[in-house]
Amino acid sequence: MRDGTGAGSGAEEPAPLLELSGVRAAYGPIEVLHGVDLRVGPGKVVALLGPNGGGKSTTMKVCAGLLPVTGGELRFAGRRVNGVSAEDAARLGVCSIPEGRGIFPNLTVRENLWVATGTGARLRDVEEAAYSRFPILAERRDQLAGSLSGGQQQMLALSRALGTNPAVLLLDELSMGLAPMIVTQMYDTVAQLVAEGLSVLVAEQFARAVLPIADTAALMLNGRVVSAGAPAEIEDQLSSSYLGG
Amino acid sequence: MTTFLTFTILGLVLGAVYAIAASGLVLTYNTSGIFNFAHGAQAMLGTFLYWQLTYGWGLPMWLSLIIVVGVVGPAMGAALHALIMKGLRDTADVTKIVVTVAILLGMLFLSQWIWHPEDARIMEMFFGAGAKVEFSGVVIRYHEIICLLAAAAIAVGLRVLFTRSRVGVVMRGAVDDPDLLRRCGHNPDRIAMLSWALGSTLAVLAGVLITPVGGGALEANALTLLVIDAFAAAMFGRLRSIPRTFAGAMVLGLAATYVAAYFPTDWTWAGNLRVSLPMIILFVVLIVLPQDRLRGAAIRTRERYRAPTVRKAVTSGAALVAGVFLLALLMDDTSITTFGLGMTFAIIALSLTVLTGYAGELNLAPLSFGAVATIVAFHFGITGTGLAARLTPWGVLLAVLVTAVVGGLVALPALRLRGLYLALATMAFGVFLSNMVLRDTTEHTLFGVTFSLFPNGTLIVPPLQVGPLDLRDGRTLLMTATVLFALIAIGLVALRNSGYGRRLAAMKDSPAASAMLGQNLVKLKFGVFMLSAAIAGLGGVLMASAGGSVAGDNFHIMASLSLVMLTVVGGIGYVSGALFGGLMSGVGFTIIIGTFNDLAAATPPMETIFKSLGHLAMVATALIGMGVGKNPSGMVHDLFESYRALRNARPVLIGGAAAQAVLYVLALTGVIGNWWFAVLTACLVMMLPVFGRMLAPTAVRETPLELVGVDEPYTPELRDRLDRELGLAPALGGDRHAVA
Ligand SMILES: Nc1ncnc2c1ncn2[C@@H]1O[C@H](COP(=O)(O)OP(=O)(O)OP(=O)(O)O)[C@@H](O)[C@H]1O
Ligand SMILES: [Mg+2]
Repeated sequence: MRDGTGAGSGAEEPAPLLELSGVRAAYGPIEVLHGVDLRVGPGKVVALLGPNGGGKSTTMKVCAGLLPVTGGELRFAGRRVNGVSAEDAARLGVCSIPEGRGIFPNLTVRENLWVATGTGARLRDVEEAAYSRFPILAERRDQLAGSLSGGQQQMLALSRALGTNPAVLLLDELSMGLAPMIVTQMYDTVAQLVAEGLSVLVAEQFARAVLPIADTAALMLNGRVVSAGAPAEIEDQLSSSYLGG
Repeated sequence: MTTFLTFTILGLVLGAVYAIAASGLVLTYNTSGIFNFAHGAQAMLGTFLYWQLTYGWGLPMWLSLIIVVGVVGPAMGAALHALIMKGLRDTADVTKIVVTVAILLGMLFLSQWIWHPEDARIMEMFFGAGAKVEFSGVVIRYHEIICLLAAAAIAVGLRVLFTRSRVGVVMRGAVDDPDLLRRCGHNPDRIAMLSWALGSTLAVLAGVLITPVGGGALEANALTLLVIDAFAAAMFGRLRSIPRTFAGAMVLGLAATYVAAYFPTDWTWAGNLRVSLPMIILFVVLIVLPQDRLRGAAIRTRERYRAPTVRKAVTSGAALVAGVFLLALLMDDTSITTFGLGMTFAIIALSLTVLTGYAGELNLAPLSFGAVATIVAFHFGITGTGLAARLTPWGVLLAVLVTAVVGGLVALPALRLRGLYLALATMAFGVFLSNMVLRDTTEHTLFGVTFSLFPNGTLIVPPLQVGPLDLRDGRTLLMTATVLFALIAIGLVALRNSGYGRRLAAMKDSPAASAMLGQNLVKLKFGVFMLSAAIAGLGGVLMASAGGSVAGDNFHIMASLSLVMLTVVGGIGYVSGALFGGLMSGVGFTIIIGTFNDLAAATPPMETIFKSLGHLAMVATALIGMGVGKNPSGMVHDLFESYRALRNARPVLIGGAAAQAVLYVLALTGVIGNWWFAVLTACLVMMLPVFGRMLAPTAVRETPLELVGVDEPYTPELRDRLDRELGLAPALGGDRHAVA
């Protein structure tokens, strides 16, 4: 396992697709991220772990361009993009799937995929990719997304990453509220995407699900990445910080 | 048969125009979640402009049509979105409603300023009323054909837009989750602006088409309300489905035409029925609609209210009574009467504080409850005649009780409805009451009793007499109304701090959660509605008797809307917000217009300037309403917050009080006029916190609660403060006076 996170990695390594250095972010007057350092190399999976309220979702929002950076630097492929808007980030190839269900409940499955083409993909391609990966969606294509089961909704959300060809995928709590089997299926899909060259940053509480496919893990506590390294080490630390914290 | 066909076609034409208006409404509601009460006002402004271009300046019809529908319509919508609607995210329903109501009022004032309401303006049909075709005796005018074609084209166009085009699908997604749209690479602002532009264009088109159909006379209020009729059509489709909206519009148009055509002419109320039919249908549709599911999670909104303690309320109440007494010493008799009238409005506004501020239920027609009480008091509560006539306390009590019962009845739909739907139901009730009851001026006989509900269009309501207390005297009336206001307000604050009040607050935040905790929502809602109606009823009777007589227009829905708006501007969660809203809407307008008219009369060369300033002030009032989007908790809240910061700066407060006392003495001795006294007092109240910050920065500066101890040492004082703010028992031994 190589170190994909933190400072001090070798100069011969390709520029990370997504990099945060000393990033600070706040909700109104309350600063939540106090200098986050994180990097996601090409084709790598980085798992962001940590207890509730550690700032994982906030970090994800910053990367997706939904929350402005108030300090430090956010870089996409080595380029400083502080203040990038979410729609521009999406067009630059950052596909972000939010916590909860990243779908439009009042649109049909097909219409959801249609909206997903906002980054320039063609509806036909997105549909094909989604339906071949999750055949159940093809059956339900004209059903309102809000009436799908939780697992199906999450499949639909993940489908956005399938046909639109992003460079980086941001996943926040993919496993939330899902049966272990579905979670495994989801991460299989992610692993397949990674094999095709996608880079992934994934925030999870449920560390077991994500660690097998992760190259690196980073532990977040109180708005800082406190340590980063091989998934197994971090998992040990995680359990101690849960117990100790 | 021919007449039937003719009327059917008329009905369809009316329905077609309703449909155009309603579809614009549905469009903006679906993309932004804002129900645009100003839709009708937009139609009105556009139509007036069209009239101005075509008839005022003689432009060719097609050119004015292009300018108005093609340019001004979209521009108006886009501007509304950019300037106002964009800022309404994460606000409560009441805020959204009030802001659009404020836009409605602002546009009305604006049009009355530009186009004097007393001049007659007539608009002809396209190609003239003579251009027509005839099928076997049935005459159809070109204009009517154009209406039908336009509606059909719009129906098809919107259907295609919403289901066959990506931008339409994205529009539908916008209301659910704009952030997700951005994650998908769309710009929700641009989408929303597009939909506002489209909606506004549809409104303007509807206005231009409907005016000649309805007779051709251009009248601002009527046109604004006419498009409000389209609300009923929109409700058929639950504000979502365009096809059902169109069907509803047709039903509405046909029903209105048939009532006009086939009801016997000696049913005097048929005309009133025709006018209020859309509102009746709206009410029925709202009740029959499938039930809204209770929202699971509480929605995060930006409104914040602090509940004051009862002790504070009692102190403030006493201060209010004393203050009003001192003020009254400065005033002449007419001003005192006006002031008293304003105070009765403030009592009506209190009904909104408990209903909307505490319980989160909406009522857009508070004055209508006042009207109910006034009618009851007029019919059953008067003794004596002429100058000796008096309202009896029993009459007032009866009126209040009846109003409470009516409030309970109106709450029936509220048991099922929330937020916007309830607002619309109460508004339908208000308009219905205005049209059916307050216009019921002729006598008719029912079960052998000859009566009319609102004889001659004006009710003479004599003053109330309770034992030795006779409210004929303006000063007595003012003081009684003030004391009543203070008592009710203290009662409401006590209620808010009681278990019942907390149950109301829980219901407001999350009906689902409070139902799950075993609250009986039905009982809660019934109770609070009846209480609120009773307060409005009491205020209404007092208002009527303070004015001596009332006409139906005193209870007009526009007056109700402006009361609601100003109360929200003040702060609907606070009784002091009610005081502000009541005084402003009761007499504020009168005073503003009066002042400028006096000035205009006094200085003839400046007349036009002063008249314009008067109009400008009216429009500005509406602008304040639009500002609610920026500051949804209300002005009173801001004022309180700024004074809370002054708590530790005793010298500043004492200095302020002293300055105020000096002002008062100056006014009492006639050194400065009342007008200057009012202006200087307002300045003093507003500026004191600013001075405080400049003069005593250390005492005034207070770290926000959530940042306490973050970048400063965590001292025992800070701990005490946290305890205090969180309502915990103070820690023993902490020296609270060490600071400041
Ligand atoms: N919209 C918001 N406004 C204010 N504070 C917020 C907001 N969202 C999150 N926070 C605060 O930011 C901090 C970090 O929250 P965040 O959601 O990033 O944590 P998380 O690591 O994703 O937790 P979880 O594992 O529970 O999802 C928390 O203390 C939270 O209270
Ligand atoms: Mg999270």
